Amino acid sequence: MSDSLLLLSLVALPFLGALAASLLATHARNAAAYLAGGVALAGLALVWTAYPTISQGGVLRAEFAWVPQLGLNFVLRMDGLAWLFAGMVTGIGALVVVYARYYMSTEDPVPRFFAFLLAFMGAMCGLVLSGNLIQLAFFWEMTSLFSFLLIGYWHHTQAARDGARIALTVTATGGLCLFAGLLLIGHIVGSHDLDVVLASGDAIRNHPLYLPALVLVLLGALTKSAQFPFHFWLPHAMAAPTPVSAYLHSATLVKVGLFLMVRLWPVMAGTDAWFWIVGTAGLITLLVGAYVAIFQHDLKGLLAYSTISHLGLITLLLGLNSHLALVAAIFHILNHATFKASLFMAAGIIDHESGTRDIRRLSGLNRTMPFTGRLALVAAAAMAGVPLLNGFISKEMFFEEALSADGLLVLPLVAMLASAFSVTYSLRFIHGTFFGPDPQDLPRQPHEPPAWMRFPVEILVLGCIFVGVLPAATVGPFLDLAARSVLGEATPYYSLAVWHGVNLPLVMSMIALGGGVVLYMALQKHLRSGIEGPPLIRRLEGRRIFERALVFLSWRLARRLEGVLGTRRLQQQLRMVLLLALAAGGFAAWHRGVGPGNLVPQGVDPVIALVWVVGAACALGAAWQAKFHRFAAIMLLGGAGLVVCITFVWFSAPDLALTQLLVEVVTTVLLVLGLRWLPKRMDKPGATGVEVVTISRRLRDLAIAIAAGLGMAALAFAVMTRTPPDLLAQHFLARAYTEGGGTNVVNVILVDFRAFDTLGEIFVLGAVALTVFALLRRFRPAPESVEVPEQQRDQSARDAERPDRRDGDTVADWLLVPSVLTRLLFPVICILAVHLLLRGHDQPGGGFAAGLVASIAIILQYMIGGAAWTEEKLRVLPLRWMGTGLLLAGGVGLASLFFGMPFLTTYFAYADLPWIGRVPTASALLFDIGVFALVVGATVLMLIALAHQSVRGHRAERRAETAPRALVPGED
Amino acid sequence: MATRADWLLALPLLLPLLACAATAALQSHRDLQRGITAITAVGLLLASAALVAEVISQGVIASQMGDWPAPFGITLVADLFAASMVAITALMYAATALYARGDADVLDNEALWHPLLAALALGVGGAFLAGDLFNLYVWFEVMLIASFGLIVLGGGREQLDGAVKYAMLNLLATTVFLISVGMMFGLTGTLNLADMARRIPEIENQGAVAAVAFLMLAAFGAKAAVFPLFFWLPASYHTAIAPVAAIFAALLTKVGVYALIRIVTLLLPEGHAWVAPLMWFLAAGTMVVGVLGAAAHWEIRRILSFHIISQIGYMIVGIAIATPLALAGAVLYMLHHIVVKANLFLVAGVIRRAGGTFSLATLGGLWRRDPWLGLLFAIPALSLAGIPPLSGFWAKLFVLKSGFDAGWYVLAGIALATGILTLYSMLKIWMEAFWKEVPEGTPELPPITGATRWLLLAPVAGLGLVTITIGLWTEPFAAFALAAGEQLASREAYITAVMGVIRP
Repeated sequence: MSDSLLLLSLVALPFLGALAASLLATHARNAAAYLAGGVALAGLALVWTAYPTISQGGVLRAEFAWVPQLGLNFVLRMDGLAWLFAGMVTGIGALVVVYARYYMSTEDPVPRFFAFLLAFMGAMCGLVLSGNLIQLAFFWEMTSLFSFLLIGYWHHTQAARDGARIALTVTATGGLCLFAGLLLIGHIVGSHDLDVVLASGDAIRNHPLYLPALVLVLLGALTKSAQFPFHFWLPHAMAAPTPVSAYLHSATLVKVGLFLMVRLWPVMAGTDAWFWIVGTAGLITLLVGAYVAIFQHDLKGLLAYSTISHLGLITLLLGLNSHLALVAAIFHILNHATFKASLFMAAGIIDHESGTRDIRRLSGLNRTMPFTGRLALVAAAAMAGVPLLNGFISKEMFFEEALSADGLLVLPLVAMLASAFSVTYSLRFIHGTFFGPDPQDLPRQPHEPPAWMRFPVEILVLGCIFVGVLPAATVGPFLDLAARSVLGEATPYYSLAVWHGVNLPLVMSMIALGGGVVLYMALQKHLRSGIEGPPLIRRLEGRRIFERALVFLSWRLARRLEGVLGTRRLQQQLRMVLLLALAAGGFAAWHRGVGPGNLVPQGVDPVIALVWVVGAACALGAAWQAKFHRFAAIMLLGGAGLVVCITFVWFSAPDLALTQLLVEVVTTVLLVLGLRWLPKRMDKPGATGVEVVTISRRLRDLAIAIAAGLGMAALAFAVMTRTPPDLLAQHFLARAYTEGGGTNVVNVILVDFRAFDTLGEIFVLGAVALTVFALLRRFRPAPESVEVPEQQRDQSARDAERPDRRDGDTVADWLLVPSVLTRLLFPVICILAVHLLLRGHDQPGGGFAAGLVASIAIILQYMIGGAAWTEEKLRVLPLRWMGTGLLLAGGVGLASLFFGMPFLTTYFAYADLPWIGRVPTASALLFDIGVFALVVGATVLMLIALAHQSVRGHRAERRAETAPRALVPGED
Repeated sequence: MATRADWLLALPLLLPLLACAATAALQSHRDLQRGITAITAVGLLLASAALVAEVISQGVIASQMGDWPAPFGITLVADLFAASMVAITALMYAATALYARGDADVLDNEALWHPLLAALALGVGGAFLAGDLFNLYVWFEVMLIASFGLIVLGGGREQLDGAVKYAMLNLLATTVFLISVGMMFGLTGTLNLADMARRIPEIENQGAVAAVAFLMLAAFGAKAAVFPLFFWLPASYHTAIAPVAAIFAALLTKVGVYALIRIVTLLLPEGHAWVAPLMWFLAAGTMVVGVLGAAAHWEIRRILSFHIISQIGYMIVGIAIATPLALAGAVLYMLHHIVVKANLFLVAGVIRRAGGTFSLATLGGLWRRDPWLGLLFAIPALSLAGIPPLSGFWAKLFVLKSGFDAGWYVLAGIALATGILTLYSMLKIWMEAFWKEVPEGTPELPPITGATRWLLLAPVAGLGLVTITIGLWTEPFAAFALAAGEQLASREAYITAVMGVIRP
């Protein structure tokens, strides 16, 4: 089997297995277990297949292109260390699967459990085999993610949810720090490839960014391995099903941080910073974890803190910057995995068979579960460091290293103390559970578990014993491989043996064993009292600080920030946009400097100046009246529009003037029509007296408005007082007739040069109409505006008084002359529209203006005749008009593509039409007709939407009133 | 002669234009409208795929509207960045159109939904392809109006309130943009972006240029919901109906970012040195404000809305650094973000359908009831937080790596911290809506079944698949983004493609 295939399948198999498991039926417990077990065993077999190469000191390596542009390849790389870890992940994984098969309840969706477990296994394999830093971070986050799902598997309990959340938040945060750190290392080295990185230790250690990189990487490693002060997530993660705890907290998840520190040991370690950070974290964790573990009442809680403590031990070893300590660390990683996995499983068995994990309730189980009791006893003894078990040997090595670390007396003392603590809590675990009187009122009658549930524990405990008795013959070669892959030539001589003669470490071991037993006996009374939490440091709970920080960040700070920045009031937001635009423009101009223009200002014509004074007054008046007198404001707005129109005429732009005029007319009419349905303002100006706040706010707004206006004027002045280079306009003038076929340059620009813009703009108009329609379709007038206006009421009253008159007669009489006139004018206006449309290409006019004229004709009919009458006589289907217009305009553009020209290319010719004469028929005319149709359709659609409010308004009013009016004949 | 480029650049705009016209005219024929939208969706996808393929093989392509040579007419131009944005717009159009078939809110408003959706697609597509400043303004207008129409589709008081704020602030921003277009025209005498880029260095009045460019930045910044001009977004997005919110979240702000990138790369290349610190500040503010805003909320769509803002910050980081790698990061981030964000809003719609509410306090039990929905939420949510093996991880990697390479460590650190808080927000939704049991007093709704379930979940699953594909098969996307970044940073190809075809 080739290396690539082997490595790839080692990573891919678990993921594929996870996928398959997730597709199984919810209660297919056995199938899922077989699948998971098969995958794990296959993984183990693959690892074993690699042994011949690894044992020769070789490295398996497979490289696949991943993101080669970033110099990033997917590299799988298996050396001794990775091999050891992969073996641990798959081997203990297989055991956990067997165990979980019997542990998990049939009520849980077990296939999902195995799917998560396998995916986690895959992520672990990917992590330990990573030959690339980015890839390492990649799988690192994945382990966080899947451990989250595993820890929260029993998500219906609050504890599981909290545990999962805390675990993910802490480890993923650490993961992101690690990510940053690894990126920094990559930045320092210039490559993310692990082999390159491992070869550039000096470059890394001597780089100015070494310290930040180190801190970030360690943040990742220490959070993952639950080191002080990030240890608090691990006990909470005990809410997970026990197989998960057995897997995550013995062999895999928490060991990942240690794995990383070992992996990067050759390039990151050896400095004072490393020593102080890693050593201190390890030392504190070792001691505090062991201390707290003694006072746990929950079996799993005890194991959790003991795990923390042992992880601290390993971290401390790694922090010592000594080669021998590194070997001891790797050895203890292995040993801890075996005894802790078996202890977790034993705790799970106890929980499973007796219904509780509380040491205070458990007692004397040795009588009902003798076999389990013995297994647990051996495993706990290994944890306590009893001779002839594996824990003893690595602990001896630890003591030796603690002694040889120069000049620090505190190390051996703490080591001994923590070791004594570990004896105490191991004793508590065994003595509290299996010995003593028979248990009282347990939830279940305890009995031995199924044989297969015990099987994994047996295997692991056998491992503890074998390694403990014959270390060099059993684990020796593997440990050597792992150590050599990290240290290479620098691997020191070490001896794995049970008996090294009577030396200081042995004495320390004995003192610790004795001390631990004595401490346990001394604490009996305190422990029986059942007080929660350890004495002295009960209040120092990591979780509380963590939650406080999160609440501060996500609630107080966020709320305050939102209070300061995010207003829900529109006016403030508008003010902000304006001020910022002003500031941005002002800052840029100030920063780069604005000089005066090079054009000489000409004299000001008093007439146009006066017109502009009027216009400005209208605009100011509109702004002033907008709040209290909407109608006046609209009229004043119209005045300002007219001034713009006059200005266009003044500067010889008849086309613009015409269009502006028509737009002003139509918009003003539509606005006034809409005004009818706005509720009346109740508070008249001046009625409530003047408030200082209001005044000052308005003054401030006035100041902002003036500043913005001045800024705009200054910018415009700066822009317009210099000759622009090579104006586009000259080009348009030159080519409008010769190439565009029209003498009306504006129109040629609109329908030819920049027809594409026009297409967009008519589309906007259409969309506006649709939107108005969408808005008003559901709109029901407010109750206060449904009321019929005073004038109409008088007329109706008059009609009602006279028996010979019907409702509406008076108004019809009053409007008789205008209505006749508008009816007469209708065809005239329509012809004018067609005229404007046709001549548009050469003289002022065009589709837009023509469309507006035509819609004015229709608006007039609606205004004078009323909606009902007009629609009876003249059925305009605005959406059809709009659709046709758009299709026509778009179709003309499309046609040119079919004729082999770019979109919207025009074709131009003169055509002789009967009676009319030579007419310029550019295909642009068709386009213009499209514009025309759309403008008519859009305007009428808005008109109808508004007009029908009054129809609905009347209906609403009738509903509001009572029967007598409905009896009036002639009501529709 | 009409080249392939002419067709390829016109089609992504013509199709929605015609679709809008036809569906507006056929207002009362629901089946025809649906058919047209479906055909348009497929057509858009094919056309934009062809456009991307063409740009990959031919480099930047341009088409002169009306056969008027640049800068006299209007140019449509597509480089890799623009083409990919058009393609992703087509994808969003298709996804929301499909989802809408199962969405009760849309089914009540179908007559207007179809034309307005097409209008939005036209506006967005036009903005991406426009090579002309005024034309860009036109498409902004189209977009604004169409989106306003779409927001009020729900028709409630809440929607109106959101719509008014949305429209007012965007109108103001658009007006600022229009003014700056006029000023720019006055300064350079041209509207063509490529031509403008050539001419700007020759203008003596650099102060006025800078002022106008900054006005544009302010306008586009408001469009892109950049700090401190973001408030319109959280005020309005959560009011729209689900598919509308989804397509808004996906596209609207990104058009602003797109325009920012164009302005910075085309019009301000020399000025970048002094714009960068400002951008730094904007990027950091945007990321932090967005993510903290999200943390403070307990309503799914408000949370998601704030996250749009914080993610925009990442894109601004790319613009601020402006190396090819950073721009590639911004491009990749946009592509990823559009897919993921639309997906999240769609899932939010399904969550409400399944749980009856958007409020996390009253939701619960969804993981037990519908694990598939959970999975479909988890994919975009984790991707948003940048967790591997999803698209977000790579997008973040690009941005971070460019930050580290350029020595912007603090900004990269802020980006990382933002990622953590994003994860926290997603976790919050997961915990409350999925893992927590249904709170007392919340009635359990019947599960979504039958065709509706497929219609709602198919687009969600499809977009999730895109996320996973980018995450696992990263190479082509990364290569594409890097090539796009190179094109943006050098700008030569763009100018040549537009201006090189001047005919005498």
